[in-house]
Amino acid sequence: MDNQLRKWIYQTIDQTIEQGDFDALQDRLETDEEARAEYLKAVNLSESLHEIASTPEPVGTTVTPAASFMRWPGIFAARSLMIAASTLILVSGIAYWIGHQQSNLTPIVADSTASGSEDESLIAGHATLRRAFDVRWGQGHQRAKVGDVLGHGPLRLESGLAEIDFFCGATLIVEGPAELDIESDWSVRVDQGRLRATVPPAARGFRIKTADSEVIDLGTEFTMDVSEEQARVEVVDGEIMLRGGDHDGLHLLTGERRTLMGAPSSESIEGLATSSDLLKRDEAATFERFRSWRETNQAKQNDERLIAHYSLSTHLNGRTLSDATSNPSQDGLLLGPAQVVEGRFGEHSQGVNFDRPGARIRTRIDGQFEAFTFACWVKIDDLQQRYNALFMGDGYENGEPHWQIRDDGRLMFSVMVDDSREIEFYNKRDQRVVKDAGLHRVYMTEPFWDISKSGQWFHLVSVYDPSAKQVRQYINGQLVSEVEIEQELLVKDLRIGPAEIGNWGQPFRETPWFAVRNLDGTLDELSIYNAALTGNEIETLYESGKPVGY
Amino acid sequence: MKANDGSDREQHYNDFVALLSRHDQAIRRFVRSLLPNRDAADDVVQETALECWRKFDSFTGTQTEDENEFVRWACVIARYKALSWLRDQGRDKLVFRESVIEALATSALSQLDQREAERRAVDGCLAKLSDAQRKLVLSVHSPGQSVASIAKETGQQARRLYYQLDTLRTSLQRCIEKQLQKELRHG
Repeated sequence: MDNQLRKWIYQTIDQTIEQGDFDALQDRLETDEEARAEYLKAVNLSESLHEIASTPEPVGTTVTPAASFMRWPGIFAARSLMIAASTLILVSGIAYWIGHQQSNLTPIVADSTASGSEDESLIAGHATLRRAFDVRWGQGHQRAKVGDVLGHGPLRLESGLAEIDFFCGATLIVEGPAELDIESDWSVRVDQGRLRATVPPAARGFRIKTADSEVIDLGTEFTMDVSEEQARVEVVDGEIMLRGGDHDGLHLLTGERRTLMGAPSSESIEGLATSSDLLKRDEAATFERFRSWRETNQAKQNDERLIAHYSLSTHLNGRTLSDATSNPSQDGLLLGPAQVVEGRFGEHSQGVNFDRPGARIRTRIDGQFEAFTFACWVKIDDLQQRYNALFMGDGYENGEPHWQIRDDGRLMFSVMVDDSREIEFYNKRDQRVVKDAGLHRVYMTEPFWDISKSGQWFHLVSVYDPSAKQVRQYINGQLVSEVEIEQELLVKDLRIGPAEIGNWGQPFRETPWFAVRNLDGTLDELSIYNAALTGNEIETLYESGKPVGY
Repeated sequence: MKANDGSDREQHYNDFVALLSRHDQAIRRFVRSLLPNRDAADDVVQETALECWRKFDSFTGTQTEDENEFVRWACVIARYKALSWLRDQGRDKLVFRESVIEALATSALSQLDQREAERRAVDGCLAKLSDAQRKLVLSVHSPGQSVASIAKETGQQARRLYYQLDTLRTSLQRCIEKQLQKELRHG
């Protein structure tokens, strides 16, 4: 930008420009697209600075939508006469909306990147869901998957069995129908349900509240049966203390039981699963799920639209991952510290972990394609790098895909449109200008991952559909993003060539430095189709391939 | 049925508020790029929000799943609001003529996404400045402040301050551009 123009632009923003200069600026803005672009950039910068300057210092939490919303009620309030008819709705609507935002009970991740060196993520939550069988979650309540961090608030099981580990060390096996209210690492309220609590020494003092009583554990194990009419407790092993209600201060030992509310009963609480029952059941269910996935997988491999299919559980021989479509030239090779670990069906299955920068699987897929669907099952441990690779074409040439996850949890997909339109940039390490990829657009989803999802399996799908001119992306079978491909960004001649799973091969052609993009996580299945799969097909892939408890 | 109408209406309103609050910054920035005068921009942003609510039925009638559609739709309304504001009170000396507003609006509409990306880059670029530099550049942009008033408070000559500020803004601008190129490259 020339100095004269810049001066005028900032003088306009600062409102100090002379009329003659202002007229000259207007002439340029009217005729010169570049001058307009400069002006818009400068206004935007000034506006951003204004926003930052007028926001109070961040207090270590992400900005909630409610905070930005607070700017609006004033506007509406001041003009309420003009919209008298809607006023009532406006007021109640605002109250409802804010209330709704606050009743979100999923764990909250706070990124304290405020000024200062303390850069620590925080998760709000009190327990994790270790196992779940046939659980139907209550409408409008927390819906949890195995591995989820459970936050403060009500949890409702219409049916099924759930095993919950509290951070204090206590474990609860709950049989639905049940209604719980998780209060802290150390306490839970039970309004309905049958449950077994196992409390190791480290968790002594863990308490369960029901009706007007509290059961405080003093060691090992007890069971409870709570309904609207009756609440009973029985010590399986160890000692508990009762507080409140009719039995305030009473201690119960192994084998003893009491009715805390309702008609007294001396019957034992029977038939409640133990942790080892659940373990066995988990193993059986996991094996069954694995078996049924393997069957559908067999059928899937006959799909003619499949370009390549990498399935660690069924096609890994040593360090070679054969392509299940039986094209040996497309076999993948595990390189460096790429490590074979358990897959999403526990010990029955395998995955490969790429947590160190050298780790990668290399392959080569020749040919020309009309559409792309990339689908994979991945467990993310952390998003350590700015960009975390799923599947990347070497370099980044015309028609080649890049599939990765950004550190803020967004799934990203792109295809190079025109690599001859080079962008030059200064590489600090090499102290020189290097050339880089040209015209393309990155299609991103909203963030789907944060650290509270660490260790969970996700089914990720990105579809590049040139005939519909759309990029669609799916998380766990659900469409999360649908973006139109603009005409100038449309690529019909799709290619892959040499490529890499879990990392990026030969990123920059003119420098030995490479961007660290290894995936800090485990991949256990990756399919690539020469077609745009439909939403139903993708949902089926998810449903037939999901692990137990999902 | 009346009761149903009420709750539909409420849902409708909730949808609107959610969209507006998610995108109000983008709309505000669009308006600012057409009107150098901040007070004028504030008025137009308010008018735009109200007009959007009045016309929200027509938007929801045709909306796609793409949330950016809302911003685009709102910005088209904002463009008319800015022009009609200009016709009503365009006597202020620092107001663009209609043809300039039109040209700016067209450019700005096609670059809405870029504005968002630029905004995201600002924090990182600010962090690269020294404390004193950051303070200076932010203090000038605090509500109710201007270079002149800062100069008066700090006893520095306004001209010197303008010079410093100009350097800082230029380097921020350069940093933002670099950041965006990096994002592009990393795709």
